[in-house]
Amino acid sequence: MTTADVVIIGAGVLGASAASRLARDGHRVVVLERGAPGREGSGTTAGNLHVQAVHTRRPGQAVPLDSARFAPLQRAASDLWEDVEDDLDASVELRRSGGFTVAETPEQVRELHEKQAWENAVGITTEILDGDAAREALPQLGPTVAAATWCRHDGYANPLKVTPAYLADAVRHGAELVPFAPVTGITRDGGAWRVTARTREVRAPVVIDVAGPWLHRIAALAGVRLDMSPVAIQMHATVRSSDGLPHLVQHIGEGLSVKQVSAGNLLVGGGWPARRLDLDGRSDAGVDSMVGNMALAVRILPFVRRLRLLRAWAGPLAATPDEMPVIGEVPGSPGFLVAGGTYAFTFAPLWAETLRCLVTGAKPPVDISDLGPERLMQDLPEKKR
Amino acid sequence: MSLPEERDVVIVGGGPAGLAAARRLAAAGLSVTVVDEQPELGGQYFRRPAPEVARVWGDHRPEGRRLIDAVRAAGVECRTGHLVWGVDDDGRTLLVSDPAERPVRLRGRYLIVATGAYERPFPFPGWQLPGVTTPGFAQHLAAADHTPVGERVVLAGSGPFLLPVACSLLALGVTVAGIAEAGRPYRPSLRALGAVRHPARLRELAGYAARLARARVPIWQDTVVVRADGRDRVTSVTLAAASAPARPVRTVAVDALCVGYGFRPQADLARMLGCAVRTDPATGDATPVLTPSGRSSRADVYVIGEAAGIGGAPTAAVRGLSAALDILGREGHRPRAGELRGLAADGRRLERFKSLTDALYPTPADLARLLRPTLPDTATLCRCEAITAGEVRRTAGTAAGDVNATKAWTRAGMGPCQGRECGFAVSAVARTSSDVFPSRLPVRPVAVATLLEMAGEGGPA
Repeated sequence: MTTADVVIIGAGVLGASAASRLARDGHRVVVLERGAPGREGSGTTAGNLHVQAVHTRRPGQAVPLDSARFAPLQRAASDLWEDVEDDLDASVELRRSGGFTVAETPEQVRELHEKQAWENAVGITTEILDGDAAREALPQLGPTVAAATWCRHDGYANPLKVTPAYLADAVRHGAELVPFAPVTGITRDGGAWRVTARTREVRAPVVIDVAGPWLHRIAALAGVRLDMSPVAIQMHATVRSSDGLPHLVQHIGEGLSVKQVSAGNLLVGGGWPARRLDLDGRSDAGVDSMVGNMALAVRILPFVRRLRLLRAWAGPLAATPDEMPVIGEVPGSPGFLVAGGTYAFTFAPLWAETLRCLVTGAKPPVDISDLGPERLMQDLPEKKR
Repeated sequence: MSLPEERDVVIVGGGPAGLAAARRLAAAGLSVTVVDEQPELGGQYFRRPAPEVARVWGDHRPEGRRLIDAVRAAGVECRTGHLVWGVDDDGRTLLVSDPAERPVRLRGRYLIVATGAYERPFPFPGWQLPGVTTPGFAQHLAAADHTPVGERVVLAGSGPFLLPVACSLLALGVTVAGIAEAGRPYRPSLRALGAVRHPARLRELAGYAARLARARVPIWQDTVVVRADGRDRVTSVTLAAASAPARPVRTVAVDALCVGYGFRPQADLARMLGCAVRTDPATGDATPVLTPSGRSSRADVYVIGEAAGIGGAPTAAVRGLSAALDILGREGHRPRAGELRGLAADGRRLERFKSLTDALYPTPADLARLLRPTLPDTATLCRCEAITAGEVRRTAGTAAGDVNATKAWTRAGMGPCQGRECGFAVSAVARTSSDVFPSRLPVRPVAVATLLEMAGEGGPA
């Protein structure tokens, strides 16, 4: 058995970034990962940096997320992303080239104005353009676009580079990464936790559960029953396109995000449901969502019609029943921290810093008092003893 | 778009296996559709010569013409130029695009996957030069177009297929400067093949050998390509002993170089249909788990021909017939007198031949071991995304032998070929346990316009 200061479960973007922050702070960190690092939600996500307020529902999503509550978190994350590449001394293909959120109906146009109030309140600068002005700014936009919000802070980072860069930084600062080590047991051991993964056993006073869609399964090993609702969503990549699409394009009322990545492929997503979620294998992309998502992409960006779809893939998303992030210590389980929920990629630098503060007792950079795991707990803390 | 048509049997792939199955099933009165992406049936083995070529030079495989004619005469619906690119969310409707890239849905009570094989290339510095091809491409060019791949050619790689390709090139007047074989199959010499008592098909190999010996084509055994050079086209190839790739033994002037290490089953569609696959212990290839008649883990899906495991055209035909008879049995038809017994005997004979030839040549696992050290870090490994061997090697620690992690961390295999070209090499270099990238929608790139028409939003612009 080894000892550590912090055991992080999950080497996705949250685990990697938290490991980097904590290792830099001098903590002895061990990261346990069930498979290869960054291969699940963090490796299948679109890599959008959402700074302007997001639309509230994925296709098929039951409960709308609280877009207004997101805005201050987005603002804080946006500021932190600015320094990620310098800080890690690595290229993650970070691009802050701005983004449009389009509206097609009068109701959607009203929503653009509504969300601008939230953006203004936290100092996110946005501008609402009418359809013609939007098409002048981005000529690829189609005729149905009635208005669009422009935010120059929206951007992209390559998710396949971000997690490895954070992990490399963590390892440089002394963290130990153990891939292919699924955690099978978490027990209380004196004042600490004893975590078992394959042949490894690590004892540490702090455990951070950032296992994404498996967050509740890991928590259950520690006797904590959390109500999570993981889903699988899918992404689509076209062949490389010579048409340059310099900005992120999203839709306020429907599931759509389109951007061009550094290699030239267009990435089309928007939270469309995959054919199925398979937490024990690989989730499959489905045809209905593929057809629906691509048709929507063509309506907003007609040039996409001329391209070929190269591949589709699905990835799990660690959603909560109320669609809001979860971050904090589990009441009644001292030193057992969880972090996850939607938009984790955008929030990664923020949640990493927040987790560092929670471990060291410092004041978190944003107010997270309403985002803790209490609201997801299925048992009272007393009952699980 | 119209609703899917339901047929008794839909066969994907019109090569020797698919055609054999189609003819037998249609003869028994079942409604059969054969879908093939090529403009004419035949697959690679029975690839039809261009009409102009056939007029002047004749048909290199007239039995292919006869088989295709018989299939059409039996009433099989032949959808050529149709590309199967996916499976609908119901898990059984095939998503197809027609020659005008309009969407078509096909559904069969039985599905037969006869999608054939990919060649197995392995990179070396210079493999992206014009004039470097696979043996299969050279053969296709020679047979279907009567066009030599070059004037002075080296064939390299491993396996029996290099011999007939060399003979096809000789017949076109090409100078075959030599054949580099990575293994040592021809001991003590190529002629020895004919000296022992072997099944007929090994004698066929010996026939090729004799032809090559007459033309004084040297065969260099235990020899691999370590680089190709040239400015706008390959002009020379450097060879080395497989056991000592760092010490080149000869450089040969060429204007074409054909390198291939045999074939891999093309099982993407079978995997997408949910057929269980296993990693073949001998080849490392993802191979569907099948009954002797080709039935997969899904009772309504059969996998036949090279997609079921590399065996050659005669084996493919036997597998096609076996699957057809299995389906007919389930449909209450009785086989013809002696049909099952004859088929079983053919199967046994071909299996003997296959184990004999397999024993002669290095296995893909041997090849991966053999070839891995020949590839310098600077060599391009994935041509679509321009990823070098060094980039893949550097991720070995963190990707920990997971081929998909390797792909994610390097982009190797993310381009238009989706790993069909480079999959074997990426896994060999990354030392992964399996060389299969996941089978993903679409199996082949599909026009967004085709998807739009499926959404009912109008056809191609």
